Amino acid sequence: MSSGATTLETEVLIIGGGVTGTGIMRDLALRGIHSLLIDKRDLCAGASGGNHGLLHSGGRYVSTDPAAAMECRQENALLKRLAPQCIETAGGLFVAVEGDDPAFAEKFPALCRNAGIDCEELSPGEARRLEPVLSDKLFKACRVPDATIDPFHLALLNVDHARLINGSVYRPHTEVLRFEMADGEIRAAICHDHLHNRPLTIRARQFVNAGGAWAMNVARLAACADVHLLYAKGTILVSSDRLAHHVVNRLRPPGDGDILVPGGTVSLLGTTSTRVDDLENVSPVAEEIDRNIREGAAMIPALAGARYIRAFSRVRPLLQAAGNASDRAASRGFALLDHATQGIGNFCTITGGKLTTFRLMAEKTADLVAGRLGNGEACTTATVPLPDDEACSWTEPGTALKHWHRDSDPDDMILCECEMLPQSAIEQVFAGSPGIEQERTLQAVALRTRAGKGPCQGSFCGIRITSWLYDQGCYRDATGLAHLRDFFDERFKGQRSVIWGQQAAQMELAEALHCGLLGLDTLEGDR
Amino acid sequence: MPEIRTGNELMTESAVASINFREAALKLLPEGANFEACLTCGLCSSGCPASGLENMDPRKFIRMALLGMDEELSSTPWIWCCTLCKRCQYVCPMNIDVSQLVYLARGNWPEDKKPSGIVRSCQLTRSSDSTSAMGMPPADFVSVVEEVLQEVRATQLAFRQLQAPIDKKGAHFFVNQNSREPMNEPEEMVPLWKIFDVVGADWTYASKGWAAENFCMFSGNEEAWREVIRKRVDAVNELGCEVWLNTECGHSYYSMWHGIERFGLQANFRLESIVTYYAQWIREGKLPVNSRWNANGIKFTVQDPCMIVRKAYGDAIAEDMRFVVRTLVGEENFVDMQPNRSANYCCGGGGGFLQAGMTDHRRAYGKRKFDQIAATGAAYVLAPCHNCHSQMHDIGHFYGGHYGVVHLWTLICLSLGILGKNERIYLGPELRG
Repeated sequence: MSSGATTLETEVLIIGGGVTGTGIMRDLALRGIHSLLIDKRDLCAGASGGNHGLLHSGGRYVSTDPAAAMECRQENALLKRLAPQCIETAGGLFVAVEGDDPAFAEKFPALCRNAGIDCEELSPGEARRLEPVLSDKLFKACRVPDATIDPFHLALLNVDHARLINGSVYRPHTEVLRFEMADGEIRAAICHDHLHNRPLTIRARQFVNAGGAWAMNVARLAACADVHLLYAKGTILVSSDRLAHHVVNRLRPPGDGDILVPGGTVSLLGTTSTRVDDLENVSPVAEEIDRNIREGAAMIPALAGARYIRAFSRVRPLLQAAGNASDRAASRGFALLDHATQGIGNFCTITGGKLTTFRLMAEKTADLVAGRLGNGEACTTATVPLPDDEACSWTEPGTALKHWHRDSDPDDMILCECEMLPQSAIEQVFAGSPGIEQERTLQAVALRTRAGKGPCQGSFCGIRITSWLYDQGCYRDATGLAHLRDFFDERFKGQRSVIWGQQAAQMELAEALHCGLLGLDTLEGDR
Repeated sequence: MPEIRTGNELMTESAVASINFREAALKLLPEGANFEACLTCGLCSSGCPASGLENMDPRKFIRMALLGMDEELSSTPWIWCCTLCKRCQYVCPMNIDVSQLVYLARGNWPEDKKPSGIVRSCQLTRSSDSTSAMGMPPADFVSVVEEVLQEVRATQLAFRQLQAPIDKKGAHFFVNQNSREPMNEPEEMVPLWKIFDVVGADWTYASKGWAAENFCMFSGNEEAWREVIRKRVDAVNELGCEVWLNTECGHSYYSMWHGIERFGLQANFRLESIVTYYAQWIREGKLPVNSRWNANGIKFTVQDPCMIVRKAYGDAIAEDMRFVVRTLVGEENFVDMQPNRSANYCCGGGGGFLQAGMTDHRRAYGKRKFDQIAATGAAYVLAPCHNCHSQMHDIGHFYGGHYGVVHLWTLICLSLGILGKNERIYLGPELRG
């Protein structure tokens, strides 16, 4: 590539590397359409990477949005069949405890049946045998086919598959600054390549805005005023180990702290919901933590005393009913806007929705884009299984464990002790995990593995992996140290609201390592 | 040599039932010092000589338990490489005791899969009232003691009146004896008898429950451990002795002391270590030892047996031992190992490792101890523990060291000028006299 202005060409530029963007990429590739996917950060940097990882049975929506409930039910069954490697079929419980509305609990099974969702009523005793941590104040329990899904694994495999099919390309750290428009069409996206700190022009025939919470901002770059989003900040806590085998939902209308979802070896408790205006700087605050724990402990008393290793907040885009967004779309929780009324013929925006329905959102978007390109191929993501690739599997809790124990190679150094991640795992990520070819950095490794996700929150693995990257020649100057500092800063953002008890001891140790041993607090250079 | 299969072979056989370690830890470990308190700091692993054996270490054990790898943990042969020395707990900032779960895992192995050396030693311990891991019956013990005593009386003029009472009711001290001496090197019992003679101690052996070893504990066999301790407690109660005096054997103290508490047994006596009494008798002037014999400045170090220092008395007994040793060899001739006292490394002879048939692993474990000893430059290691003794002897030989390993009783008698010619087998030529 020349050092001057670089121009890339593709049929479709997809902006936003969340699960939806990656889903569109794969969907288009299956129809024979080449695309380029960009993200101003990296995969799942927004709500896709900041949720429970819940694959809804639909049970949560049976009372408020039966259409969404049915959609979830269908997508749930479909993904379990087509992408089982990303899913743990944990099963879900809905539990009502003393103080909850018995009338709501009573009608829940019927509501599930109406939405076609399997719902098995359990006696309180049966429920507590399944999950001994449940409160003894439990009076009603139902079992539904909730499951968990790893959005990172899913996004990586989507990109991997698209790349395999037709050489579609993913570029992280590429931000759209403006669009070049002519004759009612976007001709090019003028971007900045943050990795190489240089401008980049991307020409395409179709432009897809899959910016999630950032979709309104991206749309405005194309002078589209028809995307109306409100922002809801959600905060979720991560416990140090797995407290329940099932997804445990509170059997009441949706509210704060009403769900505990297993995340492989940990549990995730959430969620609060607070309106915010700022998209960029969201961090958990103590009040949200307290609220989640207080509500969660009503279902599972152990949550009150559990050790939490971090919390995280992400912004969910909420659709504001306005413009020509149809009621039907609004009721489904996602919106596909073709921007016809805005005078642009080759741009669309997909936003809202949820992880469970990402495939459907991608299908609708790809239908529109393919139609506009005159491509008559039908969507096949509902029938074609998602191919596996071990290089993408390291985000799954437990992958590293099985690998490490199976190979039992004493020379294969463990770089992350919490998650038992050996160096061979990173070598494998280097060999085949999408996006890593662009940047062999600590952050890129952490995103594609479990590194930094355990109780030490990167204190040890951060140092070890960075050292290893230096050994491999991936870092040659002080950049690695700056990355290490930024990595710890990012982890700390998630930890500061849960620093008490045992986690306080953990933080003392982290501080001793980061500041005392490495002197990262006095590192020169920009943050 | 007993057979130990590798983890992989075991997994395909899946002969070991799976323990839910996370749940077990919740039951066994106190709140706040449970697995979930782990900071993954690795102090345990970096200070564990078993780290790396079978690709395991204490931190991995905890992480694997928390990550639900119960099957792998249940079947890993590493549990027989861990000597249950509790150094990991000692250095852990959260005080997490991994050894309890290792012990649980040991007990969970079917008897026929456990290292047969340990199992056989436990069986032999239960085979007679002696509770001897070498299976020496009471009558044999009594006759060996009698023979050795007669020989000393006959050949060492100063000890024509030497006593070695057996089953003497109401004696102050009930003295135990590691079976290795009466079985293999009976003359090694004599220095201890002489020390008792010098201080005028009122002591006795017993024909029942005299032996020190307890491999039933190491095999993880709770019931057998209890049975052995019960026999010994009954034996002491029967004779009405005031003090059960543990001689220079490490795990015998721990297994008795902890066993009495663990099984809620009624012991009408105190438990003491001979090391405490050596120090006391020296302070009282009853054992008039000095270091004048060591004019050539032979250097000595000491091994702090995990079982009596870190796991039982703590640093107090380590200080007593240093007082004894400094007095015996001269302040300037004493060199401590680093680290030491409660932070000392296990030598690798504990936990039944010597009997487990895992020789390569045991020696790899012992390398750290060997290096520690070598760094002191000492010509001798003093060790009041038989397992420490055997292991340090073996690794010294294996790694080409030039140090000797001796019991405190040998040096005490040497200093007093009463060490017989045939009681010097662990001394080098310069001290054989």
